[in-house]
Amino acid sequence: MSLNGTMEGVAAAGRPRLDWGRWSAPIVVAGAWLALIAATSIYRHDFLSHQTLLAVTFTMSVVGVLAIGQGLVAISGGFLDLSQPSNLILSSLVVIRLSEAGMPLPVLFVAGILTGMAWGLVNAAIIVFGKLNPVIVTLSTNFIGIAALYLIFQLAQVPNNSDIYYFGRASFLGLPAIWWPMLALILIVGVFMQRTRFGRRATAGGGNRFAAQVRGISLRKTRFAVFTIAGGFVGFTSILFVSAAGPIEARSADLLLLNVIAAVIVGGIALSGGRGHFWMLILSVGLLSTVPTSLVFFGLDSDSQAIFQGLILVVAVALDGYRSKKGTP
Amino acid sequence: MSASTAASNEPATYVVPYRPVREFLTGPIASISLTLILVLAIGLFAAGPRFLSFGNVSIMGNFLIVPLVIASFSGFALMSGVVDLSIGSMVAFSAAVFAKLLTLGCSPLAAGGASLVLCAAFGGFNALAIVGFRANPIAATLGMLTALRGIAWVIVGGSGRINAFNMELFTLVNMRVFGLPLFFLISVALILFATLMVTKMRVGRHVKAVGGDPQAAERAGISVGGVRTFALIASAVGACLGGIIFVAQLGSAGRFTGFMLEFQVYAALMIGGYSILRGGVGNPFGGALGLIVVAGMTNILDLTAYSPYYLNIIVGILLMSAVLLDRLRGGDAYE
Repeated sequence: MSLNGTMEGVAAAGRPRLDWGRWSAPIVVAGAWLALIAATSIYRHDFLSHQTLLAVTFTMSVVGVLAIGQGLVAISGGFLDLSQPSNLILSSLVVIRLSEAGMPLPVLFVAGILTGMAWGLVNAAIIVFGKLNPVIVTLSTNFIGIAALYLIFQLAQVPNNSDIYYFGRASFLGLPAIWWPMLALILIVGVFMQRTRFGRRATAGGGNRFAAQVRGISLRKTRFAVFTIAGGFVGFTSILFVSAAGPIEARSADLLLLNVIAAVIVGGIALSGGRGHFWMLILSVGLLSTVPTSLVFFGLDSDSQAIFQGLILVVAVALDGYRSKKGTP
Repeated sequence: MSASTAASNEPATYVVPYRPVREFLTGPIASISLTLILVLAIGLFAAGPRFLSFGNVSIMGNFLIVPLVIASFSGFALMSGVVDLSIGSMVAFSAAVFAKLLTLGCSPLAAGGASLVLCAAFGGFNALAIVGFRANPIAATLGMLTALRGIAWVIVGGSGRINAFNMELFTLVNMRVFGLPLFFLISVALILFATLMVTKMRVGRHVKAVGGDPQAAERAGISVGGVRTFALIASAVGACLGGIIFVAQLGSAGRFTGFMLEFQVYAALMIGGYSILRGGVGNPFGGALGLIVVAGMTNILDLTAYSPYYLNIIVGILLMSAVLLDRLRGGDAYE
């Protein structure tokens, strides 16, 4: 459509100018990541090991794909999808039950993604038809979902010696196989959001919804698509999640959500929508996925990790607020 | 539907729509009363006459003390336009600190004072992020929720429970006046005082103005940041009192003290006429009626021996219905 050129202008107008160059943010995040790795390996010489690599890449894969979904929601003006934990557990449960029935890996992928998309569609329907704020809707659906999941199952795990079990333990070019789909997806979505009509529409709707509406973009259709696709990414994550995680229960994914939101914000995708680059997620997800493992090496148990992860989120959100305060005159 | 989108493009000439029936049915008082009647009917139907027996009502009163105390304080945060999701974890945190200090031999008064100061400090931290840095309140307090829960877990330690039974506190909290728990009456008085503050006093009106239209309030000379900081600290203090009362009632603090309490309190407040998305609406009395509804449902599930997880499902659905109602009452539509 000939409107696309104009839309780019709309999307660009919402982007604040960084004073010190467009490469500053990636350099800062990459620098922080390296500094964290350096600090931990100086404190504990056994940090740089195969075990660490496995732990960090596992968290990266899961948080990375979830962050794509979260980023899509944020950039299109949907603020946050707080129901990702229960969607992830639900999709994981479907995948586990199917793998117990001996289904092959491709079927599991399709089933996982479809379950995630179905969850996203429910969210989208409530948000669009009820005209309700996505934060409240996903807060409530997560609350309902977790409670319902508790009623359905206690602990579940993929059976040993199944296809998906081996997929979770396979490696490719020295890194776990589950890490590569995450990298590929971030790269693809990065191109997709900048180069396709849908990507630009979603971004424009998040930047200035009135302008986008005047340009003839249907916000309702975009919202439907965004929340459903974001759900699909959560469904995809469930495969990576259950293939390498141990037994899961209804609350297993709760702390992941904080990492995901922090990764989206540190990656520069504004919670208020309309600006951000998905490629930055590789760095921010890398940084935030190294944090839990580093904390373990610094001798903190899982209880104290919650303190740090919570505080990281508060600081990241404060940063985001400060950035948008400066960005809007 | 499309009228509001059209209106946003034109220079606004705002006409107050005259829809008396819809306004009555969606009004705070009517909707909460209808829900209350519904819950009473379900209770009598499912649990029989024992639902309204004096003993059972007294049990509900005991159950309601903590939520009422928390709501009368954190209602001010909602009203000033900021949401504090960390109250459930704040209850856990203050309970853990209070219980720990009691086991270390502090007097209840000193332990209570120390936990109040600590909680107020964390409330101030919330305020710094939200007011000082303009952080999104929901996301920021979600982080605080996890951080405080983590601190509470660390204090509680590996055993998962701090036993700090104190006979004086126990007798105090179980004291009865006219057959009802004394603290229940105190919490009701607190709610009534908060209602008075919101409707009749200057402070309450300032809070309401800040929530209703921050720009207008700023121009009228009210410090928006100051009021919100006050409200966030008040909400932390309310949650702290809740935690202390929990320890007095149960004689211990555990890993799951106050777990998911924030959702139940906010769902109740929203059914009672508050809004999470915009400030300046609702009043504590309506919020208290909302809490009675949730307590009634909990009680019904207890009496009929259903899993408490059903309560979370019902509360989640109620929360969404309450937002829908709020939008029909004139809350911002999300389009």
